[in-house]
Amino acid sequence: MATATVVDRLRARIGKAAPPVAATVEAGHLKRFAEAIGDPNPRWLSEAPPTFLVAIAPTSIHLAEAEEYGKGWLNGGNRFEYIEPVRVGDRITATGKVADVYEKTGSSGTLLFIIFETEYVNQHGRPVARLRGTAIRR
Amino acid sequence: MTPKLGEEIPELVKHPTTRQLVQYAGAQGDFYEIHYDQDFARSVGLPGVILHGLLKAAFLGQLVTDWLGDKGTLKTFEVSYRGIDQPGRPYRCRGRVTKVDGDQAELEIWGEDSDGNKTTVGSATVSMKE
Repeated sequence: MATATVVDRLRARIGKAAPPVAATVEAGHLKRFAEAIGDPNPRWLSEAPPTFLVAIAPTSIHLAEAEEYGKGWLNGGNRFEYIEPVRVGDRITATGKVADVYEKTGSSGTLLFIIFETEYVNQHGRPVARLRGTAIRR
Repeated sequence: MTPKLGEEIPELVKHPTTRQLVQYAGAQGDFYEIHYDQDFARSVGLPGVILHGLLKAAFLGQLVTDWLGDKGTLKTFEVSYRGIDQPGRPYRCRGRVTKVDGDQAELEIWGEDSDGNKTTVGSATVSMKE
């Protein structure tokens, strides 16, 4: 039961914070991101659009061992909570953790769900946003 | 601007291409091969390369921020991916006001593929300015 072992190992990580990742919001990166999503709003030259934070720090803690399960990743969903705007020059520290791990059996077989939570804090120590994501192995 | 209950907000139609997927992979730093390597995508049972869920989220984010402008602030934004979308097909973003309470409003938002299937569904809450 190799898969059960993977699930157990992942479940042991629930609630444990991964090492924080810090990055500065750069004007060039914001511009490239806005171009990539095709949003021409000039507001995004200086302010982060709604999903930008996923680009400055990983949305999920890299769980290489989850790749032993199934054959591919799917993104199940994302929920963002915004506390204050993120602007060019802000230094953002992201801290992520695994919030839950479970298997679910549906019409296409059994899937592994990994729920991640990330909190983003700015250079003033104030939380600016939170993200909850569902990564699925199928 | 006062959002009206039941009002549908102006739709946004995107035309994603494989080029945009590569651009987005670079901008986000998500290099999972299902978004740019056709053979890899097929090897994991997909019909070909597919849009990043978070790119579809970004499209829906634009839908809401285009409508909101500087008249309010986005407080929460949530999307759930129900189906895959492929480049070369239009992706239609839509939304509707589902709740208005003082200066707070809630929207139902969704993305449709070219057959009208809701491949992404979600919600947003906004706080309107005085």
